Amino acid sequence: MKYLVVISAFLLLAASCPAQTITLNNDLIFGNVFPGIPMTITKYSVGSAAEFHVAGTSGAEISIQFALPTYMHGSGFNIEMIFFETDCSIDTLASPSQTSPLFDNLNPWTTLVYRLGSAGLTLWLGGTAIPKVVQPPGSYTATIVLTVAYTGA
Amino acid sequence: MRLNVMNRSVKIILFVALAAVLAVPSVVNSQDVATGSATATVLTALAVTSTAALIFGNVFQGVAATIGNDNAAAGIYTLTGNASAILSIYMALPEFVALADGSDKMTISFSATDASVDTLGGADPTAMVAGAGFQNIDPHNFPAASNIGSGGTTNIYLGGKIYPTIDQAAGAYTGDIVLTVAYTGS
Repeated sequence: MKYLVVISAFLLLAASCPAQTITLNNDLIFGNVFPGIPMTITKYSVGSAAEFHVAGTSGAEISIQFALPTYMHGSGFNIEMIFFETDCSIDTLASPSQTSPLFDNLNPWTTLVYRLGSAGLTLWLGGTAIPKVVQPPGSYTATIVLTVAYTGA
Repeated sequence: MRLNVMNRSVKIILFVALAAVLAVPSVVNSQDVATGSATATVLTALAVTSTAALIFGNVFQGVAATIGNDNAAAGIYTLTGNASAILSIYMALPEFVALADGSDKMTISFSATDASVDTLGGADPTAMVAGAGFQNIDPHNFPAASNIGSGGTTNIYLGGKIYPTIDQAAGAYTGDIVLTVAYTGS
């Protein structure tokens, strides 16, 4: 019976292990863009850079993968977008800092693997929009998809 | 009896262990997906129109002629774009005007006060309101704060001076003035 109690406890522990959840805190917002003038939003730009928060089991390792757009669309026209290999940053501290993140200059085109901190993990993403000189005025949007999964480690 | 209880306990333990093994991977393999957006609002594109040429009209041989930037004959360039946007303005000015066949040339000059930038957009060099932009500025070096007016239009007025020689060949002389305008992003 002693073993039964131990294993049951293990089972309860495993079953109560929380799944990770992502919260979108902020979209990547370029704001007003002049035709012909490239606009860069850095990952340090509070309120403009994209910000995601991942919650889950503290200490658990997760894989992080972005599906990044190459264009923003609007009214039948496109604006080219560029995400450089240093446009992402992550902070796993309880009080994450966007301007001085724990892990900086990360490549958003690769799968990132990090462990969740006690308060989870926060990601930031910057990017660059390149409107043409004759870019038609109006609103342009694109979708950024973030997928996270426990690695089991 | 004791043996039966043991067997039963072992079975339960095995069952629970199996359930635990099956339960754990379902947690480990779970994933979550979030969708964010990138958004931008593109502002009105710049457009430049040569509204009126700088016209000296009839001139006499040996008599220089001047057109002020506040004269009705001044050149007018109309810029449209996003209201209040800062502009980079560059004007490529000729050093002479010439007959169509190139057989004779006449010197033309532009002083450091030959241009005005009218941000009220009236397109009338004779009626520029003081303070509505930049008056009497150097067409070789426009102010860094040049901008599209709050109404989305700015006009540039250009004067100049020509120097016909005493033996200047009669005829119509022309020269190209090229205006290049771009947003600075501010």
